[in-house]
Amino acid sequence: MTSSTPTAPSPSPAAAAAATPTTSTPSTAPTSSKPTKQQPSSQSQKPSKSATKSKDAATAATSATAAPADSATAQLTPAELKKRAKAEKAARRARERAERESSGPAGGAPSGGAATPGKKDGSGGGGGGGSAAGASGSKQVPRRGSAQNASQNGGGGSKADDKNVAVFGHLYGQQRRTTVAGAGKEVHPAVLALGLQMRDYVVCGSSARCVATLLAFKRVIEAYTTPMGTSLPRHLTTYLSHQITYLSTCRPLSISQGNAIRALKLAISSIDPSTPEAEAKAFLGEFIDSFIREKITVADQVIASSAAQKIQDGDVIVTFAGSSIVKQTLLLAHKQGKKFRVSIIDSRPLFEGKSLARTLANAGLDVQYSLVHGISHAIKAASKVFLGAHAMTSNGRLYSRVGTALVAMSAKERAGGVEVPVIVCCETVKFTDRVALDSIVVNEIADADELITAEPMQQLTGLPDPAAVTVSAADAKKGGGGGGGKSAAAAAAAAANAAAESNTLAQNVSSPLTGWKESANLQLLNIMYDVTPAEYVDMVVTEMGSLPPSAVPIVHRMSTNL
Amino acid sequence: MAAATSTSAKPFDIVATYNELLRSDPDLTMPIAAIEALVLLLTHSPSSTISETLDLLEKSTAHLKQSIPNPIGLSAGTDLFQRYLITTLQRPGQLGPAGDFNAIRAHLLSNGRLFIRRAKESRDKIAAFGRGFVRDGSTVLTNGGSRVVASLLQQAAGEKGGPSAVRFRVIYVLSPAKGDVEGSSAEPEGMETVRALREKGVPVATIPESAVAYSLGKADVVIVGAEGVVENGGIVSRMGTYQIGLLAKAMGKPFYVVAESHKFVRLYPLGQYDLPIEQRVIDFKTEEDVADEATQQQQQAQPTPNVKSPDSSDVVDYTPPHLISALITDSGVLTPSAVSEELIKIWF
Repeated sequence: MTSSTPTAPSPSPAAAAAATPTTSTPSTAPTSSKPTKQQPSSQSQKPSKSATKSKDAATAATSATAAPADSATAQLTPAELKKRAKAEKAARRARERAERESSGPAGGAPSGGAATPGKKDGSGGGGGGGSAAGASGSKQVPRRGSAQNASQNGGGGSKADDKNVAVFGHLYGQQRRTTVAGAGKEVHPAVLALGLQMRDYVVCGSSARCVATLLAFKRVIEAYTTPMGTSLPRHLTTYLSHQITYLSTCRPLSISQGNAIRALKLAISSIDPSTPEAEAKAFLGEFIDSFIREKITVADQVIASSAAQKIQDGDVIVTFAGSSIVKQTLLLAHKQGKKFRVSIIDSRPLFEGKSLARTLANAGLDVQYSLVHGISHAIKAASKVFLGAHAMTSNGRLYSRVGTALVAMSAKERAGGVEVPVIVCCETVKFTDRVALDSIVVNEIADADELITAEPMQQLTGLPDPAAVTVSAADAKKGGGGGGGKSAAAAAAAAANAAAESNTLAQNVSSPLTGWKESANLQLLNIMYDVTPAEYVDMVVTEMGSLPPSAVPIVHRMSTNL
Repeated sequence: MAAATSTSAKPFDIVATYNELLRSDPDLTMPIAAIEALVLLLTHSPSSTISETLDLLEKSTAHLKQSIPNPIGLSAGTDLFQRYLITTLQRPGQLGPAGDFNAIRAHLLSNGRLFIRRAKESRDKIAAFGRGFVRDGSTVLTNGGSRVVASLLQQAAGEKGGPSAVRFRVIYVLSPAKGDVEGSSAEPEGMETVRALREKGVPVATIPESAVAYSLGKADVVIVGAEGVVENGGIVSRMGTYQIGLLAKAMGKPFYVVAESHKFVRLYPLGQYDLPIEQRVIDFKTEEDVADEATQQQQQAQPTPNVKSPDSSDVVDYTPPHLISALITDSGVLTPSAVSEELIKIWF
C-alpha cells in the first residue's frame, strides 16, 4: 500500500460552501440517484425546475404554433433530425441561461425576453430561433460535453459559467460529489467511504488509488450474491459498474484505476458461468491480490532497485511533489549506503512534497525543500531528476502532477551546463494506449476553492491599531473580502494574534481571493495534471526494464496482451 | 568454480581462450568471441545438471567481464548466450527440464555453433541492407576500424569497373597510431580498409580527427560502426564518434550506424560518464603528480607502458540516440527507438 497522506490545508471555506447545498438540496428536489441533480452552489436563488414549468405555461400560446412542424417530423431525414435535435439543445441551453440571468441581480428583463423565442424552438420548432437566442445570450463558450454542463448550469449558480476557464471548459463536467447522499443503494459502504477519501485526497496518488479501489472491490465481491435468474459473470460486471460510476463522480478515475478495472472485468467475464459462486468469488479475490502484488507491490520493488542503481555518490537528486515510488527509490539508495542529496520541489495546493521531505529527512537523507518558483535555483545544483508518473501515454509523454513538465524542462534546458538526465519511475499498469498532445484535451480540474486557502500569516509589522480590528473585521464580514483588500487582511492577521475567537474570522479573510465567485472578471483555475513532452524524458524505469519513452506503446502492448 | 577456471588447476582458461579467439580470427567481434569462448567452456566442462551449467556460466562470465578492461561489447554476447540458454531450457518438451541432460547439452553446443556461424554471416546481410545508403556520386565520412563498415563499403564498391559498382568517395578519419594493439604495426586503425578500398578504385582521403568539422561540409553521409548498441538506441563506440555525431547533427548530415544485432546490449547509459567502465580519459595532474608518476614508473620498470597503451586506445564514448539517423543491422534498418523494441523482443 502506498497511500500518501498529503498534509493538505483544511479547506474550511470550501467545506462551508459545500455544506450549504447539501442541506438545501433535499428541500427543493427529492433525493435522486443522479449526481447531476446536485446543486453545489450556494447561489441558486430559486428552484429552477418550477420556474421552468411556470414559464412553459406562460408560453403555451407560442408553442401551439409549433404543432404543424411536429407533424412534419415523419418526412425528415436522419441528418435533418440530428440537426433539429442540435437546435433544440441549443435552444434549451439558451433558455436556461436566460433564466439564470433573469434570476440574477442585474439585467433580468431583456434577457428574459430573449428567452421566449428560444422556448418555442424547444417545444419542437425550427433551428433559426434557437441560434438567434444563442446569439442574444451572453457570450457563448463552445465546449464539449455540453449536455452535462447545461443540466449542471441549469441547477447551479448563476455565474458558474463565467467562472469556468474557457480553454478548459470541457473539463468542468459535473461538480465533484460532496456527500454520500444520493448514491445508489447498490453502492457498497467500502466504496462509499473510498469515494470520499479520494475526493479529499486522503487516498491520493495513482498507485494508491488503484490499490485502494481493488481492495474495495474485493470486499464488494466478497459481499456479493448473484441474484436469481442470472449468473455471476454476467451480473457482477454491471453490479461493479455502479460502484465505478459512484467512484468517478467523487473524482475522475486515474489511468491505473481504469487499467485495473479493465483487467478485473476481463477476469470476471472469463469465468465459466457454471462455476459455483463461492469458487468464482475466491478466484476473483485471488486475482485481485495477485494483480496488486504483481503490478504494483513487486513492480515497485523492482523499479526502486533498478532506479537506485542510477544514483551515484555525490548526486543531487531533484524530484517533484510526492511520488511514492520515487520515495522508495531514494530510501533504497540511501540504505545501500550511497551519499547523495535530495532537492524536493513542491507546489500548491496539495503540498505532496512535504510528507516526502519529512520521511526522507527522518531516514537520514539530506533534504532541501522548495516550491516550484525556486526551480531555476534548485536545478542549478542538480545532477539527476527523478519523477513519478500518473500515466505514460502512447506517444511517450509523461502525464503527471501539474508542474512536472516545468521541472523536466528546466532540467533539459538548463543554461550553461551539462544536460541533467530526467528519469521517470512508472509501473506498466500506468501505461495507456491513449495519446496526449497537450494537457488541455485530457486533464482534471479540481475545486478552484482549494487555491484560496492560505496558511495563517504571522505578521509582526504594519499591524493596525488594535481598536480598529473589530471594526475592520465587521467590514470584512460585510464585504465578503471582494473589495476588502489589504487593510482587511492585515486587520485579520492582527485579530489572529489578538484573540482566539477572531482567529477563524482571520482565516476566512486572510486570502484576498475569498469570495472570488462574486467578483466579476475573476476566474480561478486549479488544474491537476500536465503533459511532459517525450524529448524531456531520458529514461522510463519500469518493472520490465529501463526504456526510452518511445518504447512505451510496445511494452504496453506486451503487458496487456500476455 | 571461477577460481578453478582461471587458475592452472583446470586446463580451461576462459580469458585466455577469449583473447586467443580474438587474436586468431581478425573477423571476429567481441560478443561472438565471448559466445564462442563460453561454448568451448561448456564442451570442456563435465557439468551434468542444468543448475551446475548455469552456475558455471555465470561465474565464468563474471570472471571474463572483470578481466577485460572494456566489457561492454563482450557482455552483449554473454548476456545473449545466457538468455538463449535459459529460454531453451525452459521450453517444454524433450529439451526441457524433464529431458535428458546430455541431449540438452549436445543440443546447446550445436546451436551455439550455429549461432556463431549466423552471426558471422550477418555482416553480409548488413552490407546488403546498407548498400542503398551509399548513393552514386556521394561522399561518405567514416572512422575507426569497424569491420562491418569496411565490408559495407567494399560491397558497395563492388567489382572494379563492374556493373553494380557505385561511384563514391570516402573521407576516412584516422586517429593517430597508438603503440600497439593486436595489429602489431604502428599504422593507425583502419588503414587496412583504406588500402582495400583504394584497391577497388574508390578515392579515399584520410584526415586526422581534428579535421572532421572542416571536412564534414564535403561529405554527404556519415557511416560509423559501434561496439555496442544500448537500450535507448544510442551507441557505445570508439572515442571520437560522439563528436562526429554532434558535428553531423549540427551540419544536418545523416549519421548512420552499422552494427550487428548481437551487439545490442542491455545497458542504459544516461550520459558519457554513466558507462559501466572505468576510463581515465580526463586525468588532472600537477607538476608534482607527473614527477611522482615518473619515479613510480622507474621503480616498476617496464610493465607499465604495456598496461597503459591498450587502455588509451580502447576508450569509448557514448553517442545518444537523438544524433543517430538510423541503425543498419542484420534485422533491418532501424530507427534508434526501434532498438529497444528489438531488445524487449529478445528479453521477454
